[in-house]
Amino acid sequence: MRIAEIIGNVTLSRVHPSMRGARWLIGVPFSLKALCDDREADGEDLVVYDNLGAGVGARIGFSEGGEAAAPFYPEKKPVDAYCACILDSVVVNNGE
Amino acid sequence: MQIGRVVGRAVSTVKHPSLQGSKLLLVQLLDTEDKPDGEPILAIDQLGAGAGDRVVMCNDGAEARAMVGAKNSPVRWFVMGLAD
Amino acid sequence: MFLARVTGVVVATQKVASMTGHKLLIVEPLRVEPNERERLIGTGRSFVVVDTVGAGQDETVLIVQGSSARLTPETEKLPVDATIIGIVDTVNVENRTIFSA
Repeated sequence: MRIAEIIGNVTLSRVHPSMRGARWLIGVPFSLKALCDDREADGEDLVVYDNLGAGVGARIGFSEGGEAAAPFYPEKKPVDAYCACILDSVVVNNGE
Repeated sequence: MQIGRVVGRAVSTVKHPSLQGSKLLLVQLLDTEDKPDGEPILAIDQLGAGAGDRVVMCNDGAEARAMVGAKNSPVRWFVMGLAD
Repeated sequence: MFLARVTGVVVATQKVASMTGHKLLIVEPLRVEPNERERLIGTGRSFVVVDTVGAGQDETVLIVQGSSARLTPETEKLPVDATIIGIVDTVNVENRTIFSA
């Protein structure tokens, strides 16, 4: 999982039938430097599936690749980024 | 597998049920010169790694799911070893 | 997943047998402009994707990539690594609508 800041969401006018009703968030991943300096997330944004209810401003941990679809097991869903946890706090001890 | 350094930890209340009870470490993967390789990751750890430790990180999802005992877990990265 | 704009169609008469009858589109991935976060911008990259929802030229679409691109009934047996799974209506950032179809 990487850490992302949620900055928004996407709505769809048409969607694959297996994904009806899904929530799609826009997340921006954090570099270590951005986390250390407590700055805005600075990575390349991506769209993350969410069913935990993360809102704008939240920091989340998101899974990628095949693991992002694992929560739907044994169903198959076309998801490659999944909001696995909403973070209460991130403590950075080593800022090199 | 890749070498990383534990740079912190994260706490989460609202999370996938399979993450209940797992410590979430913040780990920076490292390149050949010990510089950050990509963005830091959250990983589960059952070995008791702490801040500053050099660790061997594994991203085998099947093993990670076995560690948390859930076939439907989104976990992927875990601490496989502590480098001496 | 990522956002992208449909920029063209691939016509390939010769292709592996399993791909017969599947529409291939060319897309340019988009991203949120990183400083002001007030609009979508092109990335200059280009991908070929398979379509499951009937997307058309210039439409903004949602794309899943990697092994997950095969996790639909339409694509599970296809040799593909990127699939359109939705057509975008709006993109909202920090409570502003920065894109509307």
